[in-house]
Amino acid sequence: MHELSIATGILDRALSAAEAHGADRIEALRIELGEATHVNQRQLRFCLETSLEGTIAAGARVRIDEITPQAACDCGWNGRPQTLEIALSYAPDVRCPECDSRATLVRGRECRLASIDVPDEAYRSTETPETTPTERQT
Amino acid sequence: MTYHTTMSRLRQLDSRFERIFGTLLGLGPLRLHRFGHDHDHDEPASDVEADVLAEVRERAGDVHERLSHEHDVFAVELAGSTGGGKTMLIERLIERADEGERIGVVVGDVTGEDDAERLRAHGVAVENINTGRECHLDPMVVAEALDGFDLEELDTLYIENVGNMVCPADFPLGANRRVLVVSTTEGDDVVRKHPMLVQTADVVVVNKVDLADAVGTSVERIRSDVGAVSPETPMLEIAAKTGQGIDGVVDVLDESRTEHHSHRTAPPHHGDDTESNHTGDSGH
Repeated sequence: MHELSIATGILDRALSAAEAHGADRIEALRIELGEATHVNQRQLRFCLETSLEGTIAAGARVRIDEITPQAACDCGWNGRPQTLEIALSYAPDVRCPECDSRATLVRGRECRLASIDVPDEAYRSTETPETTPTERQT
Repeated sequence: MTYHTTMSRLRQLDSRFERIFGTLLGLGPLRLHRFGHDHDHDEPASDVEADVLAEVRERAGDVHERLSHEHDVFAVELAGSTGGGKTMLIERLIERADEGERIGVVVGDVTGEDDAERLRAHGVAVENINTGRECHLDPMVVAEALDGFDLEELDTLYIENVGNMVCPADFPLGANRRVLVVSTTEGDDVVRKHPMLVQTADVVVVNKVDLADAVGTSVERIRSDVGAVSPETPMLEIAAKTGQGIDGVVDVLDESRTEHHSHRTAPPHHGDDTESNHTGDSGH
C-alpha cells in the first residue's frame, strides 16, 4: 500500500516539470508501471487522480501503461522472462533460459512519469525548453 | 471514506475523463504539447521523466554509500512476516557477536517500542522507527534513523524491517545484505506466495524448523521453491528459540562482511549499487 506516496512523488515531478516549461495547466499524464513491482495499477490511478485535485493538474487524464519485464544474463542472453509457474502471484522467472544461471531484470521494476500534456498556448508563452515535444495533438 | 463518497468521487472522475478525452479528440479548443516521451525507450530521458521507484533505489544507494563507504559499517537488513522471528534472530546474532563488536539496530514497526526494548536489553544502540501509516521502511526513514547513531562507533548495523512480505520488495534500504526470515508456521507455500520479495533476498532463513512437523510444513518444499523462484540464493534452516542453525547464519554474514571489506578497499567506486546481489536488480 505505498501507492499514495508514489502518486505524490509522481505528481510533484509533473508539477515541477510543468512549471519548468511555463505551463499553468496539465491536461494529461502518462505513467509507465513495471509488471515486476507491487504497485497496484488501480490503486495508483485512484491515488493519483485524487492527489491531482486542487493542483494545476486537477482533472487531468491519467494513462498508465504496463511495462513487461526484460531480463539480461551475463552469458549474453536477454529477453522477456517467462512467468514463474509455481508462484501464486506474478513473478518473472529469473533463471536464464540459455545457461541456467541467474539473470538480472533490466526492465519491469519502474514506476515512471513518462510524459505530461500541457495546453499549447502555455507552451508558446515561454522560451523554448530544452526538451523537444515529441507529439502535437489537436 | 464511505462507499457513498467513494462512488461520488468516481463519478466525478468519470465525467472529467469525458471532458478531457473530448479535448484530446479535437472537440475542445486546446492544442496540447507533450513533454516526455512516448514509446521509444532508446531516446534519452527528458527532464519530465521521473521513475519514482528508481529514485528510491538511488536513495538506498546513498544509505549504502554513507554506511559502507564513509563509515565502514556492515549493514544487514532483516525482512519477513510479523512473528517470523526477525527480532529473535537479531538477538541471537548479538549474543554471538565477537567481543568488542559495536552493534547498532534500526527497528521498524508500525507502532510501539516492544522490539526496541527487547534489543536495548542486549546493551546495543537502538533507533526505533514507528512508521505509523507506512507498512514498510524506506531508505529515507533509514537515513533519518542513522542520524541517531555515531556511525564511527559502529561495526555492524542490523535493520529490522516492518513485518510485511509484499512492499519491501520495491524498497531496498541500502544494507549490504537482505536476509529474508520466513518461518515454518507460515506454511510451506510462503515462498511461492511472495516470490518477488524472495527474489530481492540475499539469504533466505527458514526459522522454527523444530516446529515443522507439528504444523505440517515441508522444509524441503520451501527449499525447492527458493531454488525455483530465486536461483543461487542460499537457504538456511534455523530455530532461533533454541539456537539451532544460528552458526550457519553467522558464517554466511561473516563471509559477506569479508567481501564488504575487500570491496571497500577496492578502487574508488560510486555507490549507486549496493553490494547486495539482488536488491540492485534495477538495471541502473
